[in-house]
Amino acid sequence: MENLSKIIIIDDNPDFRFIMETFLKRNGYETMTAENGQKGIELIEKEYPDLILLDVMMESIYTGLDVCKKVRTNPGLKDIPIIGISGMADELGVQVEKWGDEDYFNVNEFFDKPVDKEKLLLKIKELLEEGLIKKGKAVRIGGKLYLKK
Amino acid sequence: MDDIDHQDEDRSSCPEEKGLTDEPINRPDNGSIVDGLGLRSIIDLLPCYLSIQDRSMHILFANQTFKYDFGEGIGKLCHEVYKGNSEKCEACPVQKTFNDNKVHISEETVQLSTGEMADMIVYSSPIEDPSGNVVAVIEMSTNITKVKEMQKELKNLGQSIAILSHDIKNILEGLQGGAYVVDEGIKDGDMKLATRGWDIVKRNIDEITVVAQNILYSSKKRELKYRKFSPNRIVIDVADMFQEKAKAMGINLKYETNQALPLVSLDPLSIRRMLENFIWNAMEACKRDKAKHFHTVVVRADFHDRFHLKFEVEDDGVGMDEKTRASIFNEFYSTKGSDGTGLGLLVADKVIKGHGGKVDVLTAPGKGSTFRVIFKLH
Repeated sequence: MENLSKIIIIDDNPDFRFIMETFLKRNGYETMTAENGQKGIELIEKEYPDLILLDVMMESIYTGLDVCKKVRTNPGLKDIPIIGISGMADELGVQVEKWGDEDYFNVNEFFDKPVDKEKLLLKIKELLEEGLIKKGKAVRIGGKLYLKK
Repeated sequence: MDDIDHQDEDRSSCPEEKGLTDEPINRPDNGSIVDGLGLRSIIDLLPCYLSIQDRSMHILFANQTFKYDFGEGIGKLCHEVYKGNSEKCEACPVQKTFNDNKVHISEETVQLSTGEMADMIVYSSPIEDPSGNVVAVIEMSTNITKVKEMQKELKNLGQSIAILSHDIKNILEGLQGGAYVVDEGIKDGDMKLATRGWDIVKRNIDEITVVAQNILYSSKKRELKYRKFSPNRIVIDVADMFQEKAKAMGINLKYETNQALPLVSLDPLSIRRMLENFIWNAMEACKRDKAKHFHTVVVRADFHDRFHLKFEVEDDGVGMDEKTRASIFNEFYSTKGSDGTGLGLLVADKVIKGHGGKVDVLTAPGKGSTFRVIFKLH
């Protein structure tokens, strides 16, 4: 199943992009990267990935939060799971409540840096499986996931 | 209200003001220092500003503390004296007390007669006639500028901790992630991958070193140790230290010195730290400038004029807008997103202030920045 899944990594730090790319590729995922929000959005629209790994503190005209908003307000993209990564996840978590704008900052999960890679892998797997079930490409029977042909 | 309006001599109609005479206070324990003071003197000596306003906001009475800091205010409008405004203040506590006969408290920023601004906590309390009508309002203000400054410092401290923790988490991510890549490279016998991972680890070691040194510098009260040294030498040494890193980042790091410069008496360790932070900051600004592939950073030591020495660090990186420029030394400030910390510039500022120097920042978005530090030569 993993081999079918395409993950887009959006991060302005080349080291972090490379680390995540290496990690996800070695765990059987297809990866693509973008170094800023603008390129990230273009790549998402073109590739329609199964999951987005997003640095929410990027410094570019389109920040991580803008990417999130773009995805969530586009009917064709809004169901793509997003995992937000930040060195300030706790602080941002507080702000999300204050903004109260679900469309704006609606990630499926937040991971604080340094990212616990095992937990990240489990979350990616879980979100991808949910995505497949939603799309009708898989069913879960007795806790096991079966791909439809 | 009228009887209060012209009451400076005859205050007997208002029971609250009966004590505003210079009559000594009649107390059983005669002979203490206080006994020699009339209530009026005590009010004058109170370490807070006391005034009485009528409904049209004219000041009827002011104590000496008030007069000392705001000038002779009697007969003038309260908002003119406190704020230099011809219009009444919005949300004026005195007006509120006139309207509802209750005590009100507010925080106001006022201007002293010296021109200095001050933060005040203001209490307003009604003075009633025998029928219960508010005929005047007593206003008592306490200068809380120092408290407000402390509040601001605490807020900055909170921000600094948040930014520091963000920076440290980023560095940890780089260290752990880099080590992971090294491990994977070794596992597969892929030296290219291992080397790439090791480069990430080294970069993050450099960053944590800078952060740790700055935390140590800014958290300690360190006496400056003045000694004579060559400003040219220190510029060359610091520039040399960054050469390898600059090369790896595609930055041409140059230095310019002036052989005519004399030895100067400053704390060389602090000056070095200051230059290191400016160079680090300049290289980060270049790294974030995606418009160019190659950048230049120049470190200079030269005469500013006959009596002053200048150090300059010039880059052709992203530059700053006016808002950013104004903030970099005022508070813990970082525009670097996922890279770097604002602590370095605070440390540099501390060094400059400690030596009685001055810093100018010449910058514009897309035009790079020049940090110019000026010290007295002798």
